[in-house]
Amino acid sequence: METINKQQKRRSRIFSAEARVAYICLIPAFLGLIFLTYLPLVGVLGISLTNWTGLKSPVFIGFDNYIKIFTADPYIKDSIISTIYYAALSVAGSMIYSLFIALLLNRKIPARGFFRAVFYVPYVLPAAAIYVGWSWLYEGNFGFFNYVLSELGLKKILFIADSSYVVPSLSLISVWLAGNLIVIFLAGLQNVPVVYHEAAEVDGAGGWKRFRHITLPCMTPIIFYNLLMSLIANLQVVTPALALTNGGPGNSSRFLTYLMYDQAFVNYKLGYACATTLIIFAILAVFTTLLFKTSGRWIYNEGGDDK
Amino acid sequence: MKTGKKLGAGLILAALVMSAAGCGNNETNTASPGSEPAKIPETSSEKVKIVYSMWGSAAEGNTTQAVADRFNASQDKIEVEVQAIPWENYMTKLNTLATAGQLPDTGMLKEDGVIQWSSEGMLNDVSGMYEGSDSKPLDSLAYKYKGKTVAYAAANEILLLYYNKDMFDKANVPYPPAALDQAWTWDQFVETAKKLTNDKDGKHPGEEGFNSQSIVQYGASVENLPWQLETWALSNGGGFYSEDGTEVKVGDDASVEAIQRVADLYLKDHVAPLSVGQTDDGIQRTIIAGTVAMATNGQWNVGTSLNTAKEEGLNYGVAVLPYMKDKVTISTGGANVVFSQTKHPKEAMEWLKWYNSEENNWELISSGIWMPTLDKWYKDETLTRKWVENPNFPPYDEYKSAVVDYAQSSAAKPAAWFYTNYTTDFNTLLGSILGDVWTGKTTAKDAISKNLDALKAAHTGNQ
Repeated sequence: METINKQQKRRSRIFSAEARVAYICLIPAFLGLIFLTYLPLVGVLGISLTNWTGLKSPVFIGFDNYIKIFTADPYIKDSIISTIYYAALSVAGSMIYSLFIALLLNRKIPARGFFRAVFYVPYVLPAAAIYVGWSWLYEGNFGFFNYVLSELGLKKILFIADSSYVVPSLSLISVWLAGNLIVIFLAGLQNVPVVYHEAAEVDGAGGWKRFRHITLPCMTPIIFYNLLMSLIANLQVVTPALALTNGGPGNSSRFLTYLMYDQAFVNYKLGYACATTLIIFAILAVFTTLLFKTSGRWIYNEGGDDK
Repeated sequence: MKTGKKLGAGLILAALVMSAAGCGNNETNTASPGSEPAKIPETSSEKVKIVYSMWGSAAEGNTTQAVADRFNASQDKIEVEVQAIPWENYMTKLNTLATAGQLPDTGMLKEDGVIQWSSEGMLNDVSGMYEGSDSKPLDSLAYKYKGKTVAYAAANEILLLYYNKDMFDKANVPYPPAALDQAWTWDQFVETAKKLTNDKDGKHPGEEGFNSQSIVQYGASVENLPWQLETWALSNGGGFYSEDGTEVKVGDDASVEAIQRVADLYLKDHVAPLSVGQTDDGIQRTIIAGTVAMATNGQWNVGTSLNTAKEEGLNYGVAVLPYMKDKVTISTGGANVVFSQTKHPKEAMEWLKWYNSEENNWELISSGIWMPTLDKWYKDETLTRKWVENPNFPPYDEYKSAVVDYAQSSAAKPAAWFYTNYTTDFNTLLGSILGDVWTGKTTAKDAISKNLDALKAAHTGNQ
């Protein structure tokens, strides 16, 4: 009895000493969270209830900003639609593309390292260079793609100047940029146990069957992670609109984050911009919750005791 | 990258929140400075310190400080200190300083911010600045709020027509006129543009077998950024706003027709490349790229990009804009203001007057980016020659007639942000409304009449 007590005491003492160190080490991160994330969030909520322009002192106007956004804002509807459209295309496109490329790069092909680098490079290029490059490719009058089209005797396409093409054109760039997803998929693929494949091969399963019944199920946790990251990133899209289209033509690429940026830092309607921010936040929350809700149904867990 | 931006925005917001907390007590400071503080400098024998803020790099700030040092040495009452803030953060920084009650005494302000800052009581009246002076700024360069002059432009800028002389010579077509009284009508402009537009087989628009899908050279390009587009609405007898800036006129037939004509250059006449009016790089995409024979844009392009292109062999000329009913060019220029938070408005104005009056912005002016604001530079030929006769500029007679004389003619109308508020909101909305007009999916009339209420709301800041 006594020995057990002693042991327990010692354990709890060790625990608390360790814990103290842990807490001390956590303090900077915790302060960072408080001051850089939660306080600004509260600030955003507070400002969103005012008509602040940054010049006069703010006046409390209740939910007027929110009411205005949903009843009188000329941009918000198109903005929500284009953001979701862009995110859907980009997420679907980049998931399929990067899984496909990862599968190819996972094979024992010659110069594998070189090709792995080639597909990752776009991800690390400076955004400005990327978008200048693509703007030359997409240019409506003399751009490279249109040069090729007109040499082939086809009609020119106004890739980023026509409201029906601009969102697919921009999401094509984001698919091309998905080098990070490829790397994560590759890492996942290399963790798929080889024994399963060997066993299946002995049983006479072909390439497709092995992919469908071994690789894909084993990859579901990775797929879920990539899906989530890609969804969050793409719903917050702003750079291509800032760099290439300025939200146009029309409102077709005035994505939500761009709209918020425009309100806050171009028009200085800070209260209004904060209200928009919280709406973006709500939309993100809805989508990620939905994704988490469905995840239980299709994610394969070897341990199976996750729930 | 994205997280970095978000973090940045979060930090700015956090800073704003903190400064907002402190703004209640600053309110009393900002309300009073007009009357009593003027006495303080008189009693003290020390120099009055004036802070002047400008946008630009630290190096540009040092250049301006060197100019200010000459001013400081020239008298013993005022000492000017220059504060340079990067362009990207300039207005955000000023907004933050304003809430904190720590604005500089005087500084530059973005064109479209002047009337808003006036309406919120942040700027001093500068009507008296040039009283008793031998030269004052051109009339088109005064920012007016409720009839009072609240700022003068720091520089003059106008819109004009650039053209590629080699393309004209090759097509054997006369150059566009540099003199206002010979300005082309819109139809003459379009006719000339047709002669300069070639498809792959060398055919022109309107000719048998012309293929609009394989154009290799365009005749003309008219910049359709919303604020420049107003030129054509005005030229056709319309406008975006009534003259006093109180009413929206962009829905008038004359305005809508003018906008449609600009779109038709691409859609019907096939003489212009497509431009969706979103980015400000028209001259690079047209004249400098060597794909378009004539293009409208601002005179500042001489200094910002055409000089370099000229060194690389571009043979360009300058001309006045064509016109629809009235001859119009838009003039603009960022403002130099005196903030109402200053305790020394008089000294601030004295510095501004000195700074604008002599060759103190010479580098910007002689490179062609800025034009002088004072009328003597336009009227006194020796001064004009001193300004224009240098290798950075097109031939003297051409530039004198198409730019210098043009800028002081009755055709030069101030841009809308000189007299009315919320032009950014209005222009953003108009730009987005016109998006499908440029590609021909809808007409200017349909697009504008459908959104007229929203445009009017944007103009009142009520959007």
